[in-house]
Amino acid sequence: MASSPDVPSAGNTPENPESGSPPEAPQTTGTAGAERRGRVRARRAAVMAVPATLVAATLAVLTAQGALGVQFAISGMPFTVTATELNGTGFEQFGNLDNMAEGSPNAGDTGGQVLVVTSAIKNATLTKLCQSVDLGGTNLLITAGSGAEKVTASDLTTDSTELSGDAAFNNIEIGNDASTLTKAGVKGPIGVFSQQADTVRIAKLRQTNYATIAGVFKLPGLKLRFSESGC
Amino acid sequence: MLITVPDRPRLGPRLAFRGWRARRPFWGGLLLALGGGEILLTEKASLKVVMHIGMQGLAGYLLPTLMVLLGLLILFNPSQRLFYSITGVLLSLGTWLTSNLGGFFLGLLLGATGSCLAFGWLPDQEPRTGRRKRRRQARAAARAPAPKGAQGAA
Repeated sequence: MASSPDVPSAGNTPENPESGSPPEAPQTTGTAGAERRGRVRARRAAVMAVPATLVAATLAVLTAQGALGVQFAISGMPFTVTATELNGTGFEQFGNLDNMAEGSPNAGDTGGQVLVVTSAIKNATLTKLCQSVDLGGTNLLITAGSGAEKVTASDLTTDSTELSGDAAFNNIEIGNDASTLTKAGVKGPIGVFSQQADTVRIAKLRQTNYATIAGVFKLPGLKLRFSESGC
Repeated sequence: MLITVPDRPRLGPRLAFRGWRARRPFWGGLLLALGGGEILLTEKASLKVVMHIGMQGLAGYLLPTLMVLLGLLILFNPSQRLFYSITGVLLSLGTWLTSNLGGFFLGLLLGATGSCLAFGWLPDQEPRTGRRKRRRQARAAARAPAPKGAQGAA
């Protein structure tokens, strides 16, 4: 690393400092007066600071509007949810169509739309909840409710493409129009097949989801980590 | 490490550091390097994932690393500060896209501020004077028949 001390004449800066200080011919270092130091000229710094601020503000606004993708925008990626047991009251299920953000790279040839099954549960209790997203090479893993306290959620709505487990329903109605559902307070599109039940119990639940919405989602014993394997 | 021209007698370490600092945009370089370091600290993806994602992931590490490098170069090679600071500010702004929103904005702010300070720095300036004193001097210069450079301070 070659040190190159600045020679006193500002060799590489063509223009004079804007204050137009008279060029003091002899260097006066070491004299009793204050020494001459390098210093930041405010107006010179502003030449760069103003455009930089404008660009930073533009980036922030574009990102807020969603016009600009930032590195961790992963919307449109499916994630897996598993639980050893799900107990719920007020259950609805109907077909639906989810839309990704416009121009999402995950859209592929689907036109940004995913056909999903929407499951709504008024009040749900889950044991040993696990959620994982495949980020390519590694998984973002979230677990909760493995202790004595269980995961509880109200007005829980999930949009899934796959759902498996051992299910038991009470007072189930199959074949309703999705727009006439009453048990969980969510209504689907008109003319779509649906089913609803008073209570639901699913053991060994496994879902591939595109979205989860909940009014309240309590996750006791939450753990978030990266892992080699998913749920 | 620094073998500068011995233009002044040997001083104590504090005074020597003060002299060293006076000859380079110290805070500019330091802030730019710190900004890059902060962004690097916010990066959590392992190298394996970065290799998997490719150039997009690599850029997340590349830009803050270059920021640190430019900050150090500003400190140790201040005569090239214009190029370093312009590149530095562009990289700092670029990290918004590549590296966790510029290290959650903090690193971007540090880097951009440092670059601006380095850009605005000039060597060999008059000792700092207060605004009032400067105005008084300007008035005095305007009244007296000015020798040269009389358009004077703002």
